[in-house]
Amino acid sequence: MKLLPFILLLLLLSSCEKDITVDLPVYPVELVVDGHIQPGERPFVLITRTQGYFDPTDLNSIANSFVNDATVTISTNGEVWTLQQVCGSALDPATLQDAGDATGIDPALLAFANFCVYTTTGAQQLGVIGQTYRLDISAEGKTLSAVSTIPNPVPLDSVWFQLALQVPGDDSLGFAWARISDPDTMGNGYRWAAQRINHRATGQMKDPFYISPLGSAYNDKYINGLTFEFNEARGRQFFGNNPEDENEEQGYFKVGDTIAVKAYSIGTKEYDFYSSYDTNVGSLGDLFSTPANVKSNITGGLGIWAGRGVYLDTIICLP
Amino acid sequence: MATTRCASSLRRNSPTFRDGYFCAPLFALMRLRHLFAPLLFLLSLSVLAQRYSVSGYVTDSATGEALIGASVFIEEIGKGVGTNNYGYYSATLPQGEYTLVVKYIGYADLRRKVDLTADRKVNLKLRTTVQVMQAVEVKSDRTKSDLESTDMGRMDVDVTKLQTLPALLGEVDILKTIQYLPGVQSNGEGNSGFYVRGGGPDQNLILLDEATVYNASHLFGFFSVFNADAVKDIELIKGGMPAYYGGRTSSVLAITMKDGNDQEFHGEGGIGLISSRLTLEGPIVKERSSFIVSARRTYVDVLAKPFINPESTFAGSGYYFYDINAKANYRLSDKDRFFLSGYFGRDVFDLNGNQPGSPKFKIPWGNATVSGRWNHVFGPKLFLNTTAIISDYKFSFAGGQDQFGFKLSSGIRDYGLKVDFNLYPNIRHNVRYGFQYTYHIYTPSTVAVNSGDVPFNIDTPSKLNAHEAAVYVQDDFDITDRLRLNAGLRFSWFAHVGPFHEYITDAAGNTTGTRDYGSGDIIAQYSGIEPRVALRYSLDKKNSLKASVNRNMQYVHLASFSSIGLPTDTWIPSGKNVKPQEAVQYALGWFRDLKERKYEGSIEVYYKDMANQIEYAEGASPQDGGNANYDFALVFGKGWSYGAELFLKRRLGKLTGWVGYTWSKTERKFPDVDNGEPFPSRWDRRNDISVVAGYELNDRWTFGGTFVYSTGQAATLPVQRYFIEGRLVSRFTQRNGFRMAAYHRMDLAATLKNKPTKQVTDPTTGEVSTVQRKYRSSWTFSIYNIYNRKNPYFYYFDASGNTGTVGLTIQAKQVSLFSILPSVTWNFEF
Repeated sequence: MKLLPFILLLLLLSSCEKDITVDLPVYPVELVVDGHIQPGERPFVLITRTQGYFDPTDLNSIANSFVNDATVTISTNGEVWTLQQVCGSALDPATLQDAGDATGIDPALLAFANFCVYTTTGAQQLGVIGQTYRLDISAEGKTLSAVSTIPNPVPLDSVWFQLALQVPGDDSLGFAWARISDPDTMGNGYRWAAQRINHRATGQMKDPFYISPLGSAYNDKYINGLTFEFNEARGRQFFGNNPEDENEEQGYFKVGDTIAVKAYSIGTKEYDFYSSYDTNVGSLGDLFSTPANVKSNITGGLGIWAGRGVYLDTIICLP
Repeated sequence: MATTRCASSLRRNSPTFRDGYFCAPLFALMRLRHLFAPLLFLLSLSVLAQRYSVSGYVTDSATGEALIGASVFIEEIGKGVGTNNYGYYSATLPQGEYTLVVKYIGYADLRRKVDLTADRKVNLKLRTTVQVMQAVEVKSDRTKSDLESTDMGRMDVDVTKLQTLPALLGEVDILKTIQYLPGVQSNGEGNSGFYVRGGGPDQNLILLDEATVYNASHLFGFFSVFNADAVKDIELIKGGMPAYYGGRTSSVLAITMKDGNDQEFHGEGGIGLISSRLTLEGPIVKERSSFIVSARRTYVDVLAKPFINPESTFAGSGYYFYDINAKANYRLSDKDRFFLSGYFGRDVFDLNGNQPGSPKFKIPWGNATVSGRWNHVFGPKLFLNTTAIISDYKFSFAGGQDQFGFKLSSGIRDYGLKVDFNLYPNIRHNVRYGFQYTYHIYTPSTVAVNSGDVPFNIDTPSKLNAHEAAVYVQDDFDITDRLRLNAGLRFSWFAHVGPFHEYITDAAGNTTGTRDYGSGDIIAQYSGIEPRVALRYSLDKKNSLKASVNRNMQYVHLASFSSIGLPTDTWIPSGKNVKPQEAVQYALGWFRDLKERKYEGSIEVYYKDMANQIEYAEGASPQDGGNANYDFALVFGKGWSYGAELFLKRRLGKLTGWVGYTWSKTERKFPDVDNGEPFPSRWDRRNDISVVAGYELNDRWTFGGTFVYSTGQAATLPVQRYFIEGRLVSRFTQRNGFRMAAYHRMDLAATLKNKPTKQVTDPTTGEVSTVQRKYRSSWTFSIYNIYNRKNPYFYYFDASGNTGTVGLTIQAKQVSLFSILPSVTWNFEF
């Protein structure tokens, strides 16, 4: 809908566009948290710094934005867990996979980068449904904190693939579909993530990590207690250069794909974060939206600390 | 008014009522007709000597159109009066012989001797300078001198000259033209919203024949809804608003439609690049009743269709707009006249994906207004106009994709009544008083969403109902020959009334319950006293100083999510949380005539304080509006604006036009924005220059040119970025802390008319004579943006490449709308 005036302009007018140089003021660096805790899993905390808008960006500069040597603790149920910094190849496969989801970078590359996350090592320091976790971070002279609770995971009733029939003569492209029954209590939030786990001819997995397409965070404000079906497009690897992200297959799953689905259940503040994150990312360059910061639940910094319930499923894409 | 005050004031001032016994029956009369009450005091002043009134209408002799703001000057006493909105004038003078001199722009002066031994009714018919070109020397082009009036920040736009000015795609546009005036700023292209002295576009009262027009733009803001062919008079008041006007804090743009020629049938029209228009007018009963109908439609959709690939996703899409103005009037007698006028306009935008699964949208929106008016002359000194109004604005957006469907609609409808008395007790006073009432019905954004057969449970929000009323009185008073005062007082009242379904929320914004109000229950009400004072002091015949102070209340607000005006913007009333906006404006001005009135110039300075301004909270979006009160995400704060405006106009000669310069600063301060630090308003422009020139080479060629420059728009840009899940997240800090590049542009136009006269040979006598052509036509060639300036429409940041191999590049880009654009329009008249 936001794009409509755009389409109109393109249809009617000879608009033109040119590169310009913009002098932006310099602001002090902030710390950005991307952390979560899920039932039966270790907590995962990644800390980065904000950068100047036009700073050069490549894998190195992204790696240089990771914050090392922070003091990170989680307080829950009277206990205090001190999180350890684990780097590069020392990461276990599950944490490395999480790091891939959180950075949008192939875990295979991350394993060799100057890259650290904060997690627990104790066998008992795992997430529990219904439990509340307070995160405290102290790094580079800043103090950050956040609180989140792991909600009860709401399962998907069923998942399937359905052809979209949007390109004439096409018999292979479609969307992932799911049916969900929202519990009859307000305050349930959801977020969808999917990964194509079948392999390319090169032997690589089609998606090296889970991707949440923009606009895949929901709350139950309008759907409380309803059972209904919804569909999801395929999210792109934001900085990847796969042919299917550039051609007519963009946004579609394809017959032959196997899709691993994660349906996260999240709370209200976590929903606010992801929904505003989607808006912020999606409105890059959109005049028709008012500039809006992402609504963080972190005090003293930016980003998200999310307790997440998780439901897993798999779709095999058949015509 | 208490009895004692009645008695004392009458005794003191009126010899006729000296005995006091008059007071009782008079008081009964006042109770019955209390509307007259404020004026009896003034009436009583005027009965000192034997005085008589000369009154009547000033009209165009050829068309019967009433002339608004014509000056009727009484030579013997060196004073004059002006005609009102219906061409009516009245002057009460001591018994004697007088010479009336009537002046109006584009017309020859008319002199008329009047022997005032009784009340006289003198209707004055002026002839245009074209009609009398050979016969009479044109002495004056002016209506009312800026030097004489108390008006501040008031501009009259000459409609007849609009067509010779360059226009985008040849579409003559009133709203674009007023943006050339000092103190009036535009948003550049793509927006006919205008900003007056730091006020927002919703703070302008736009009236078409007394009816409020809520969204004055077509095509997402590229063109205005006013068809210049049907317009007689345009008046813009940007400060010093008289008490008659209210309900907006910034300005008044009052547009009066033509009445229609009551002598003979005429038509005019034009064929342009994107639209055609046709206007027909003529008498229904000659000199008693006339009509005018004017219509236009764009045909971009028709022209564009062959060029859209039928295979493309957008085949079957279309965009067009049309509007119709119609007006009829009937003169029952010299005392009574009726007018019925209407406007209907619609924009229709269809997006029809022709493939299965592709999105389909239909977005119609538009305004409709109807106003019926009754003019009644009670006596030579009292003129009444009663107006009944219906105004309607609707927007809807229906769309679907696959099994999902949704519909979003909003709108506003007004039913109004205005009763306005013009009283001319004597030559020194011009009094206006009356009341205004409007019943508003708002439909806030209503959303319906379904997935297949399962409708999502979004409540239909209640319509919002409100009463708005005002009483006012104002007097334009010559205190001495040098000092003139316009003092007015307006009392306004507003109430948001039921039925209303209120959501009760807790501190965190979660809905905890609902409450229902019954029909007519008052949910919130506000009132305000709005004093309006303007003074003029004449230093000499060439110089005058003016000062004004005004307080204005505004009870309705336009809540906008986007940074430009879109039809999705919703009008909302004041209510429990939304307080009425207030503005107090102080202005000072120096006005001067130069070179025997060939030039006029002015300098005005102003300071404006604005309270209860509205913005959406950061990150609010329309979809948050379901199952919530209509004022769900608004934040409130204050604002202020100050500035200086310089204006120099050349009025006479082959070359006419003006130069305007404005320096201004507008800021806002909201506790919830930028931690309560002041930030530049979206309408802040430091420097603004406009140059408008017209040159009449001969009776066939006319040239027009315009130049505008303004400081770049304030914009909010991201200052930092970070990555989450590999995506770039922007971090914004200072609201409107960044300036886009300056906007400047020059446009030129040339108009070629066919000869206004032709030679006719009398077949019997062989005598050759010159007669007026019945059919006239002209070509207007215009070039928009002649030096092809790439003005910024908006900026965005584009990220390309990838982090893995080549690195990510972020590039700032500027999008511009119109490069150099020539156009041609053919106009005709018969």
